[in-house]
Amino acid sequence: MIDLDTFRQQAREWTLSMVPEFGREARRGLTDEEDLALGRRYMAKKYEAGFAGVHMPEEFGGRGLTGLHKLAFDQEEMPHGFPSGYFGISLGMPIPIIMKFCEDKAWVRERVVAALKGEEIWCQLFSEPSGGSDLAGLRMKAEEDGNGWKLNGQKLWTSHAHIADYGIIVARSDPTVPKHKGLTYFWVDMHAEGVTCKPFKLLDKEVVCNEVFFDDVKLTDGQRIGPVGGGFGVAMATLMIERYVAGDADGFGPTIPFFVDFAREVEVNGRPAIEDGRIRSAIARNFALRNGLNSIRDRAFLMMEAGMEPGPEGSLSKLISVRSRQKLSELAIDLKGSEGLAYDPEATSKEDWVASWLSVPTGRIAGGADEMLLNTIAERILGLPQDHRPDKGVPFNQIPA
Amino acid sequence: MTILYDEAQEAIAVEARRVLDAQYDLQRLLDLVDVTGKHDERLWQTAVEQGWTALPVPEAHGGLGLGLLEMGLIAQSLGAVTAGAPFLTGNDAFVQLLLAGNDEASREAWLPKVAAGEAIGVAALGEGNSPLPPTPAVTFTDGRLSGAKSAIAGALQANAGIVWASSVGTPVLALVEIDDTMRRPIDSFDNARLYAGLVFDGASARVILEGDAALAAARNALARTAVVTAYEQTGGAEQAMKIARDYALERKAFGQPIAAFQSIKHRIAEIYGLVELARANCIDAAANVGTPQFVLKACAARLAASDAYDTAARDAVQIHGGIGVTWQLGLHLHMRRARSLSAELGSPLFWEGLLVSEIEAGVSA
Repeated sequence: MIDLDTFRQQAREWTLSMVPEFGREARRGLTDEEDLALGRRYMAKKYEAGFAGVHMPEEFGGRGLTGLHKLAFDQEEMPHGFPSGYFGISLGMPIPIIMKFCEDKAWVRERVVAALKGEEIWCQLFSEPSGGSDLAGLRMKAEEDGNGWKLNGQKLWTSHAHIADYGIIVARSDPTVPKHKGLTYFWVDMHAEGVTCKPFKLLDKEVVCNEVFFDDVKLTDGQRIGPVGGGFGVAMATLMIERYVAGDADGFGPTIPFFVDFAREVEVNGRPAIEDGRIRSAIARNFALRNGLNSIRDRAFLMMEAGMEPGPEGSLSKLISVRSRQKLSELAIDLKGSEGLAYDPEATSKEDWVASWLSVPTGRIAGGADEMLLNTIAERILGLPQDHRPDKGVPFNQIPA
Repeated sequence: MTILYDEAQEAIAVEARRVLDAQYDLQRLLDLVDVTGKHDERLWQTAVEQGWTALPVPEAHGGLGLGLLEMGLIAQSLGAVTAGAPFLTGNDAFVQLLLAGNDEASREAWLPKVAAGEAIGVAALGEGNSPLPPTPAVTFTDGRLSGAKSAIAGALQANAGIVWASSVGTPVLALVEIDDTMRRPIDSFDNARLYAGLVFDGASARVILEGDAALAAARNALARTAVVTAYEQTGGAEQAMKIARDYALERKAFGQPIAAFQSIKHRIAEIYGLVELARANCIDAAANVGTPQFVLKACAARLAASDAYDTAARDAVQIHGGIGVTWQLGLHLHMRRARSLSAELGSPLFWEGLLVSEIEAGVSA
């Protein structure tokens, strides 16, 4: 197997060579459709070059390397702002799940290769209007229908559903048992009759999320993943599957050096902001937070390389980095004063403080709200008790609404 | 240097903790708070017996010649028990400065004694509230030192110091033997740190380094001391967090453990985050010793660790409620130590400024 350093070097060279055609600058001014099309072309190139599905098994069309190779590639890819975001969830959760659970291997291979090349996109239909953090409280109904199933209900917050070809979904197949026990997991065809996606704008004008309605959508029993009533277990497996996700100590926002450059240009009370103690304090504090996260990441990487289990502190990345980004973005806008009021619809979160500030609240909620992350740390790492849960052990249909 | 501990390093940390826990006596530490000039002699004897005084001293001078990481792990263990003897950190700085100097005779005179625990050294760099004034007011003329150095941990018992001074406009590092006439004891809120200022009135001293080399050595020693102290702060913060956690699990109110309330459990989870960030920054700094990034990384470690310990100590008291503010429970030992360690070596205000200066000078992470 190719060693990590060589692989990382190759990844660095290849991603750099892609910058003119697919980098942040190349995307400026594109419509959503054009950008998605560019993204699909990028994914096709990535597949050709052998950087797609780095740690997925060769029998399914992956490269067959380790999770660390995948992480190394992601770290090299991240800074360039390629249009790969459309495919992150698709390849991160649904594709590994069908590889793991679906029995028709030829079909799975077709799907994996199509997803790796960017030809097909998968979405993950978990959250609903009645609950996001409380996944097991979902209401989407799955009823037996002849030899198969029939879905009725609504999902919410589904990223990229409107451009997706397939999805994975959890639904309630038995409302008479406690909430965790009455769920079943399926894959669905997003083009099937009765599936309606209504994309909506978030506060930063990004159109990523959808309401997705299911009206008598028919599934075969072959679309079931895992046992009837075993959906919660598969859902947990889905959320745990991606060990090798590259976090970003900058919370996917601007970097500290970017802030420092900015603080050198802008003035406070007639002096460069970089000379102002309050600004220096903010730089230093945020540097220390992010340097700590990078050190945790590097240590985890080395531990995995040595065949050890990394410590639980890796779970801090999102909690710490996104809050850091939020405060620094607010400060940057304050620094500009009335000149910070301008809004540039073309600007991206990595290089514009207003864009970063507008999109950062999503980061504190999506993929585990801060409060859920704190609960997880408190309960799993520190051994503190669970919150009071009045719905525990109560049949779902007897839980007071 | 790697950022993973090897087995020998793991063993050092585990053994240090075992030994320190075995001799821990809360009452002894509480008694120290009330008196100026007394330290925990039993703990210090343990440190000497364990060979911790020999850690930073090269083998050629009777020491073990181990690195910053090992020093850090010992300091972390000492921090966890709010150790009542502050000498290892000062010794380390003293040793580093002697090693950086060009005076072999002073090394031969002092290093074996420090290694054996027969002498205690300190670095006397700071003046006023600056841990390393660019132009020190203490002067060195014709072999004699004059002027005042601000509070130094361990100075009440130290036998020798390396002093940051000016010699006709050129900075020097000078070795001086410390006697009682020089000490200005400080009655502190954390007396076990043995703080004293040092006042020199023509004290005889010898220069071990001068000019830019002296500045570089002083900066490096200060940064290194900051990392050792950051480890100690991290150890204290982690212990305060564990005390808070254990109490929150045991104490019941409104029919359940108070740890079940999110205002409590989230607070402890936040401390966990600060502790792990401090630890990660310490490890990163120790791994960067000798690189151009070292000062930058030391600043980050110092800031993260000060924040972690202050917050952990403050919140641990709050989580305990009324019992937390009693003398006898002793949680105030962490509160005191968190503050004293934060203030004694250039406060976070200094380290924030230095960190940004490093970035401005082109050092990147």
